[in-house]
Amino acid sequence: MTFFNISSFQFSKSIELFLIFSKRDLSVRFKQTSLGMIWAIIRPISTMFVFLFAYKNVTNISNISGYPIQIVIYSGILFWNLFATSFQSVSNSILISSNLISKVYFPRMIILFSAIAVSLIDFLFGLLVYFVLAIYFKINISAYIFLLPIVILVTLFISIGLGALIASFSVRKRDLLQVIPIIVQYGFFVTPIVYTSLEFYLKPWFKIYTFINPLVGLVEFFRFTLISGYQVLSLTEILISVFSSFSIFIFGLSVFHFKKDTFVDHL
Amino acid sequence: MNSIVSVSSISKKYKLSSKKKEVTQTFFNKIFKKKVIDEYWAVNDVSFSLNKGDKLGIIGNNGAGKSTLLKILSKITKPTTGKVDIKGKVASLLEVGTGFHPELSGRENIYLNGAILGMTKSQINQQFDEIVEFAGDQIIKFLDTPVKRYSSGMYVRLGFAIAAHLDPDILIVDEVLAVGDADFQKKSLGKMKEVASNDKTILFVSHNLTAVANLCNKTLHLERGYVNQFGETGEVLNNYLSALQNNLFEQSFDHINFAPGNDLVRLKYAKLTPTLFGKQLIADVRSSLKIDLEFWNLVDNQNLNISLHVFASTGECIFNVGSSSDLLNKGVIQASLAIPGYFLNDGNYLVSFMVVKDKSIVLYNFEEVFNFEIADYREDTNWYGKWPGYVRPQFDFSIQQVSLKL
Repeated sequence: MTFFNISSFQFSKSIELFLIFSKRDLSVRFKQTSLGMIWAIIRPISTMFVFLFAYKNVTNISNISGYPIQIVIYSGILFWNLFATSFQSVSNSILISSNLISKVYFPRMIILFSAIAVSLIDFLFGLLVYFVLAIYFKINISAYIFLLPIVILVTLFISIGLGALIASFSVRKRDLLQVIPIIVQYGFFVTPIVYTSLEFYLKPWFKIYTFINPLVGLVEFFRFTLISGYQVLSLTEILISVFSSFSIFIFGLSVFHFKKDTFVDHL
Repeated sequence: MNSIVSVSSISKKYKLSSKKKEVTQTFFNKIFKKKVIDEYWAVNDVSFSLNKGDKLGIIGNNGAGKSTLLKILSKITKPTTGKVDIKGKVASLLEVGTGFHPELSGRENIYLNGAILGMTKSQINQQFDEIVEFAGDQIIKFLDTPVKRYSSGMYVRLGFAIAAHLDPDILIVDEVLAVGDADFQKKSLGKMKEVASNDKTILFVSHNLTAVANLCNKTLHLERGYVNQFGETGEVLNNYLSALQNNLFEQSFDHINFAPGNDLVRLKYAKLTPTLFGKQLIADVRSSLKIDLEFWNLVDNQNLNISLHVFASTGECIFNVGSSSDLLNKGVIQASLAIPGYFLNDGNYLVSFMVVKDKSIVLYNFEEVFNFEIADYREDTNWYGKWPGYVRPQFDFSIQQVSLKL
């Protein structure tokens, strides 16, 4: 396990530290609020209403997916929030823990991984709301729901991979921090989040696009595991996205691994 | 080889990109001008090895590289070159209560901090009651209160209590002893001695030579990143102190052409003499300091006075005093100043002085003429922490009982 450099820090201890960091972030999250975890649901629901409002009253986008637009939007947002919030917190994790990093040694990668805890729990709460919506719109749950954990895992992989890259470089130069909101804001619109890939599925550049933006395949894979009968992309296209997410994950962690020993000198 | 810690010629380089302070520094000449990069070796070719059970004291002035060395040894940062080989479980305490989260309760923070310092959950469970007891009665009451509501004393006590119950083979400590009130300090010192008495290996950085002498059998003296000495504590401390004493804080220049200064004034002689009591080797807070200065005045008929600054090692100016002003001619001018004892607190200080014409025009600023250290001295107190403040006056301050009624 030299890659994770935990030779002197037992693996079980790393897991314990990971759990305790995650627990810390979760228990601090809604301290001194009265609604608590309900806030985790309010965010995706209100985003959905904003887009419903825009679709019904402002523009004239036709919903060609064959599913209720609420289901399309909400599932998309659920996915996007999981990616975006975990990506953001992984990117900022090293700088936020700078005090800890400059005073104590522990495997630095634990910080990256524990940064996703809050996003994951928020996502699971949001997922409950999805099921309520599905019942309301009489949409059956996909038979492939057992693949859902895999989609979640791959989504977290790409968030951690991208986040690790930004975290590694932003320790020294803070410029990259400015990239985060760009990815989160524009990514939302260039990925089929509040629409489906059917809108540009037949465009000649689509294949290349799924490779460049693995989130396209991931969000459609996500919908495939949730919505019964929903299949917009082929298996190959989804596998390309999964492969490309996994490569980003490995690349991000490798860069992080080579940079982590000198973080302290730039903090 | 039975050495538990072996450090072979480690060095650590930092790059300081010094921005030239030009008013017209635009975006473009930032890009086109090559940045001036200064290299700075915080730790330079340091080697030593320790056997199991050794207690090493690391001493040296500010900026000698002590903290950087500790950071390398505790794996927080990597040395630029060289190798560190440590066998066993290391716990490093560079700060008390690292990673405490203000929103979490004392109880939760014990688990959090324990895990960060490398304890497993079961180890913490086992020692939980001891930790709380060690931290004191006050903590027990507030165990489920967020630590942001704790007083700073309670915060530190809880932090130290957790650290004291780590059970490492090698303990790296950076002057964290100096925390808490007198009672708690006794307890912490007791705990440190208890740890020291068994076969644990300790690396201890301190400015407090007495603590090093009491606790450590070996001492490493760093100076500007280099090892000045490494050996038995008694020997190293003796050499360290006598070197400080021999460094008489005296500068003299025989040749006017090679002396610091300019065409108007040049430094001839400067000396700082502390009064020493009894067996004292270096100036301490009791010592009064005498500063004698001589300089060549190269212009006739000038109205000159001297303005002297004393700076703390952190750079703040502690005070500035001006001499009287006098009409002076070419030749050697002499000035002297006495700083009373019980005025400066213990610490490192820098002295600069400038020669001023007509009470307004600075002819030359002689920077860092002396760099001296004042040691601590106390009697009749149970407090051993760092005495706060830059000055250490003894003012009349009385306390008395005026009534027996409540």
